[in-house]
Parts: sequence; C-alpha cells; structure tokens
Amino acid sequence: MDALLERGELLAQLDALRAEGGRLAFVGGEAGVGKTALVRAFSERVGGPVLRGACENLTTPTPFGPFLDLGLDLADEPRRVAAAVLEELERAPLLVLEDVHWADSATLDVLRVLGRRIDGTGALVLATYRDDEVAGDHPLRVVLGELATSRSVARLAVPRLSVDAVRELAAPHGADGDAIHRLTNGNAFYVTEVLAAGAATLPASVRDAVLARTVSLSAGARRLLDAVAVVPGEAELWLLAEIARTEVEHLDECLDAGMLRAGREAVSFRHELARLAVDGAIAPHRRRALHAAVLAALAAPPDGVPDASRLAHHAEEAGDTAAVLRHARAAARHAAATSAHREATAQYARVLRHADGLDAAQRAGLYDRYADEALVTGRNEESISARLSALALYRELSDELRVGETLSRLTNAYTRLGRNQEAEDASREAIEVLESLPPGRELAWAYAVQAYARMLSRDNAEGVAWGRKAVAAALDAGDREVETYGLIMAGSSLLMSGLIDAGVRELERALALARALGEEVFTMSALNMLGTGLGEMMELEPAERYLRECIAFTEAHELWPAYVRAWLALVHVYRGRWDEGASVAGLVLRGAPDPISRITGLIALGRVRARRGDPGAFDALDEALDLAQPGGHLQRLGHLHAARAEAAWLTGDEGRTVEEASAVYELALEKRHFWFAGELAYWQWRAGALAVAPDWVAEPYRLQLEGDAQAAAEAWRQRLCPYEAARTLADAGDEAALVDLERLGARPAAAVLRRRLGLRGPRQTTRENPAGLTTRELQVLELIAEGLQNRAIAERLVLSHRTIDHHVSAVLRKLSARTRAEAAARYHEISVAPAPKMGGPADVGAPERP
Amino acid sequence: MDTYVILRRSGWRSAAELEEAAARSLAEGERMADDIAWIRSYVLEEGNGVGTVCIYQASSPEAIRAHAAAADLPVDEIIRVVDTVVIRPDPVVEAVAS
Repeated sequence: MDALLERGELLAQLDALRAEGGRLAFVGGEAGVGKTALVRAFSERVGGPVLRGACENLTTPTPFGPFLDLGLDLADEPRRVAAAVLEELERAPLLVLEDVHWADSATLDVLRVLGRRIDGTGALVLATYRDDEVAGDHPLRVVLGELATSRSVARLAVPRLSVDAVRELAAPHGADGDAIHRLTNGNAFYVTEVLAAGAATLPASVRDAVLARTVSLSAGARRLLDAVAVVPGEAELWLLAEIARTEVEHLDECLDAGMLRAGREAVSFRHELARLAVDGAIAPHRRRALHAAVLAALAAPPDGVPDASRLAHHAEEAGDTAAVLRHARAAARHAAATSAHREATAQYARVLRHADGLDAAQRAGLYDRYADEALVTGRNEESISARLSALALYRELSDELRVGETLSRLTNAYTRLGRNQEAEDASREAIEVLESLPPGRELAWAYAVQAYARMLSRDNAEGVAWGRKAVAAALDAGDREVETYGLIMAGSSLLMSGLIDAGVRELERALALARALGEEVFTMSALNMLGTGLGEMMELEPAERYLRECIAFTEAHELWPAYVRAWLALVHVYRGRWDEGASVAGLVLRGAPDPISRITGLIALGRVRARRGDPGAFDALDEALDLAQPGGHLQRLGHLHAARAEAAWLTGDEGRTVEEASAVYELALEKRHFWFAGELAYWQWRAGALAVAPDWVAEPYRLQLEGDAQAAAEAWRQRLCPYEAARTLADAGDEAALVDLERLGARPAAAVLRRRLGLRGPRQTTRENPAGLTTRELQVLELIAEGLQNRAIAERLVLSHRTIDHHVSAVLRKLSARTRAEAAARYHEISVAPAPKMGGPADVGAPERP
Repeated sequence: MDTYVILRRSGWRSAAELEEAAARSLAEGERMADDIAWIRSYVLEEGNGVGTVCIYQASSPEAIRAHAAAADLPVDEIIRVVDTVVIRPDPVVEAVAS
C-alpha cells in the first residue's frame, strides 16, 4: 500500500525515539496490519543507511538468523554478536529486525543484551513482531517482559485501519469501503489484496484474495511464484535460476503485477501471508519436487557454506529422509555449539522423526543427545521420555555400561521434577549395574548422582559421603568432569549442614575446575549451588554475588536461568527490597518456568504480599503448595510452610499459623535444618503453641526465643534482614521498630505494633480498645486519669464542653465506674495489662504471644 | 485481570498536585496497558489536603505498586474486589482533577 493512512501518530513516536537515540522499539501488530509498511515509510523518512535483518518462518530457525543478513562476521556468542551489532550501529544508526516472533533463541539473547546496552548510543533498533502470536510462554514474550521496565525499550502497537481509512482507499477503485472493512476488519494487507484483485465478488479470505490476483498472470509466472513460495523469507536470484530455470524469465511480470518485491540479489513475496497463500495452493507432488530442487541447490551454494537449518527444513518438506538425517543432525550440532539449545532440541526431535531406518545404537545415541539438549533448556518431561527411549534401546543391545549411565541421567531428571521414588529406584539400579562392571567414570558418575539426590533431601552427611566417594572414583578413573560433579555435590551438602566456609571452599574448587575444563553446565551448577545454598543459609550478601554471576553466565549461554532468578527474588525480599523482589519473581513466573523455579518465585511473591498486607498472598502460596507437595522435599516444604505460617499470622489467623508451622517442623528437626527449624519454631512460639526450641536453631531465632530481642534484632541486621530485625523488636513491643516497619511498607506488622502500643494509626479509624471504648473515649479516659476536669479536657482536645460531657458519660458507663476516680483506677489496670487479643480476618493484626 | 480498590489517603496537599499526579498516572498507565487499567477514582476531602479511592483493574497487586512507583503515587492499601453492586451510576460532579 503506497498511501500510509492513519500512521501519523506512530511515525511521530518513531521520530521522537530516533531523536532520543539509544532506543530499542518493539513494533507489534497482527499479521498484515502494516508493520513493515510503517517501518519502511519511517526508514525512507530517516534516509541514510539502514541495516536490515529478518527472521524467517522456518520450523526451526537458524541461530542468529537476522544478523546473518547484516553480513557481520559472527562470533558464536550472543554477547559478542550484540557488541558487533552495536559497533555496526555507529555507522548506520537505524537497524530494522523483522518478525522477531520467529527469532531463534540466540537472536533473542542478542535482543536482551541490546535492550540493556543500547542506551546512550544514539542508535534506534526497530523490531517488528506479531503480537497475536506471542501469547503465553512464547520466548519473545519473556524477553518483552524482561525488558519492560527498561527506559531505553519502547513498545508500539500498529492498529487496524478504521472504516474511514478503508473508504478512502476504496474510493479510487469505486469499491464499497464499508463492505471491505466489514470483511477485512481493517487488516491493511487484506484490504490491499482485495482492492488489487478487483474481483466482482469480494474474496472471502486473505488466501482467496491473494490467489485471485494470480489469475491474470501467465502460466510461467504462476509457476515462478510457486517456486518463490516454497522458500521462507527471501529467495535468492541464483536459487531461482537453479530451481526455475525457464520460469525465471517471468520475474518482471511478477514484479510488475506487484506479487513479488525485489531485494538485494533476492526476491520475496510482498507479505508472508501472500507466500503462505500461494504455498498452500501448490499441488503436493509439485511442492515436494520444488523442495527437493531447493534442497539440491542450497547444498551447493555459489558462495559460502550451506546453511544446515535451511537444508533440514527443505529436506523434511521434500520427504527426503536421508537428507533430513544428514542436515538436521548437522543443524543440531551447530545449534548446540552456538548455545541455541532450543533449536538443537527441535533439530534432534526432527532427526528422530526420520530415524526408523537407523540401527538401535545410532538411535539410542540420538535420543541421548536430544535428552541432553532438552534438559539444558529445562524441558524435563521431554528429556525423560527421550532418556527412557534410549534406555530401552541400550537394554535391547545388552549394553550394561550405557544402561547404567542412562539410569544415572534419568535419576537427575526425576530428581529435578521431585519424582523422588523414581529417582531413588533409578539411582540404586544404576549403582548396582555399574558396580558389577569394572570401575570407571560411569560408576563415579552414578555415585555423584546419588549424592545429588541426598543433597536435595538435605541428608547432608550422606550427601557429603557419596560426593566424596564419587570424587575418589573419578580420580581413579582419571575423569575430571565427574570429579567436578562430585565436588559440587559434596560442597553443597557441606554448605547445607552449616559448614559454610568449608562448603564454599569445596564449591569454589569445583567452580575453578569446571571453568578450566570449559564445562558450561558444571560452571553454572557450581555457581547455582553457591548462590542458592548460601541463600538458604541466609548468607545473603555472598548469595547475591554468586546468583548475579550465575545469571550473567546463564544468560550468555542460554542455560536455564529461572531457578537462580527466583532465588535472587527471595534474596531481594529478605534484604528488604520488596519492589525488586516482586518484580524479579514476576518475571520468573511469567516465563512459565519449571516447577521448582515456580515454587521459589511464588514463595518470594507470597512473602512480599503478606508483609505488605496486599491481597493474593495465599493465591501464590497455595499454588506453590500444590506444586511442592508431590516432591515432598524439606528444601521446598520447609521454606514454603514457614512462608505460609507468616502469611497466616499477618492475617490474624493464629490457628492456621500453628498448623502451617508444625506441618514440617518434625522433618526440619530430623534434618537439623537450623533455618527452617528456627523459623517454624518461631511461628509456633509466636502463636503460643511452643515454649522452647532446640538450642541449635539459627542464631536470631534462638536469641529471640531465649528472650533477648535486642541481640536477636542485631543478629538479623548483621544478616542484612531489616524486616526480620524490626519484627523481632516489634515482638518485644519496642516502639523504635515502628519507623522501620513503616519505611518498609509492612502495614500489617506496623498495625499490630501500633495497636499494642496504644498508638493511633496514621489511617486507622476503627479498632478495638479495652472495654469497647472508642479511640476518642480512650483519649478522654487518659485525661481523666491525669486528673483533668471536663472543661480542661475539652480545651486539650479542641472539642466542645458538651461533647466531652457525652464522652465522659460513655466512658463511665462502659467501665461500670461510678466515679471519675474509679474510672482512673480502671485506666491504670488497662494500660499495664498486655494489649488486648484481637482476631478475625477484618482485623489486620495478630495476637500477641501470651 | 482482577479489580482492586486502592486507598491513597491524604496523598496530596492540593487539587492542583493531584491533577499533576493524575496526568503522570495516565501516562504510566499507557506504558503498562497490558497489566493495569484505571477505571475511576473518588477524590476525598481530607483535613490536610486530598486523597483518593481508586478503582483499577490489574494483573496483580505488584502491577499496581509498580505503576504507583513509576507515577509517584502513594499507596496505603490495596484491596481486591470480589463483586460489584451498582445501584445507580456515579453522580456527575464537577471534577477536581479533569
């Protein structure tokens, strides 16, 4: 469409972004609404050099696809690619990336980095995407969520055309604008196609409209269109010369008719919707033949190396099994090597769909690699089912070594999903099978896997023992990889048993080893255990350092970042940074993460909501409980029930507080988890259901339960937990805590303390006072007790004499006092007695400890 | 999206201040259109200035707080609405903040 109607405001917004510079703008809209037309018009307006890249509608996209178009010398790592792009942007300050809803994961990583680094560069990056295709857990949606708060990232939505605009477009054709608008819903591409088709009756779909336009073309031109249609994205001219040798002479006809658009050494349909319409109308046998021709041509391009992803796509479409096996395997290896694990997983899945002709050993090997890639991207179910297929094949082959190894890998996958019994069974069988063979790395690995299961159950002594056994066996076998893994497990269990320094030392050794070996997964695993383990031990400062390091590492390598992020959210919460905690937790949850990351994120969210008195604390914590119960591990349940006890307390539900806190208390005692045992004991104590806790619970809880609130609060402060410090003082009725609680936004805890101190809440209007006195009456009583007469009270409270008379009568009546002196005596009784017990969901406070 | 009542008691010293805040609120609301929608507000006469009771639809309480932080609005309390009973439409009064 040449006339760009109703886009003035969007163009003005783009102008503003360009003037600001250092911006990444996502331009969203449904397919055919006119995103590309808008961006093209804007590029022309800007003038000067414009960089362009497009993502293609391949079933499995090529890593860094759109950046290949820029002709950059591409490194294999998203950060380095982003750096190269930023450098390029100094030369041409506008980069257009089309259709990023189809982007491969490596490209999305580059976008993440661009979003963070573009500020201050003077460049503008425009990324178009179909907003109706990025619902739910679409990877682009996660990126958009992550970048949502960045000042340098903007989102624009391209709306459909109004009926007025469609009328204006229809007028020169003498067509009925209203009818076309009704039919097309204002979709710009559809409108254009309908008008261009000029048919007597309106075509009922985009497809009909596109095909109606081809009717007037010659047979040769139509065949050429078919050839272009089987090539997603742009079809290179050399490729067309190969696959449509005679038809290529009709190119001008297709260009003149407006069906195709010429690019640099390539042509493409004016719109992907048009390509799909034409592609869908090709007879199946012809389609296959065309794909086979494309496949043959792409395998030997005139320059450069063949693109395995494109080859795999056309091989599958051509139904050429041998070619799929060859190219999809190459594409998978390439994707895995460039950290595009999602694409690697999809390529292995594709290979396996065509693997029936391979022998059992080959198929088992493919299942293994598929399972590895799926595991790395957090697709546990998929990984398990691939692993089980491999296991069955190895059993069939009586390959005991591989059976044992596969069982160990299965153990890890089950453990991650909290399927503990299956994990335990697989682990025992692995050890049994492998101990019957000569010792080697596989047995060492099986020990390490058993150590992992013990570590997760927080059977710390056993975790250390199995970990050490794994290290010893790995040293015997000369296997540094398994040695690293064993060290990680032993170090983690040491850490969880409270031997913080020893645990950190061992994990640091594992980390150094993993780095020296260039082992991505172990490097991440060591950082992960350091961050989350120190977090669970409430060593928040070092925990945060390692978590951040781990996140940076996972982002660069596209490895499962959800769990460490969820833990970072918790660390934010415990350090009193509730906004950050809630925002990181929200990010994790929006990314549709695996269950354990979800549970952890929900705990962070539930704690923040409860502490702020915001609605929905139990929505989050109930969902977490549903997810955590099948696994039954203390590390989830202990943490979760402590959070639930807290939320119950803050809504004034004493019974529920005890119920939640006692649910896993025995388990926490059994495993001697001093933080979980400490917090669970504390909540029971707070609700009056427990008098003493064991003397080994974590220091701040021990001190508080022993009655030394000041020392306990100081211990919390040293651990960088401002809320817990203030809560501890508030429990002791220390008014100094009020300022801290209010600064944190801890409305419920502040309300409890204020009430206990008999202070008027800043906004509290109704509350229960002793003997059913209103706040005003209590004030009057206080002044009576000071010996003031009604006139003086009226002056003090700036009220009329008559009002005070009423108040005094009410006070005497409610206290059943005959004289003012009796009332004064009752006041002294009330003010020395502990604060009154309150309850009920309408009352924010919770009862004091009896 | 759930419906929420947000109390912002004595948030501003004057109607003029509130008016500025309303403009910021709208602007930030546009930026977060996926997560938050301002439905209406009641402006409260309070001893030392004005406050508001605001009705919003939001994807979560955190979205309300993030919006408030971005637009520099106070939040005293967020309450989820489970049901709405409308007897009559809101009376049209001269708006304090247009």
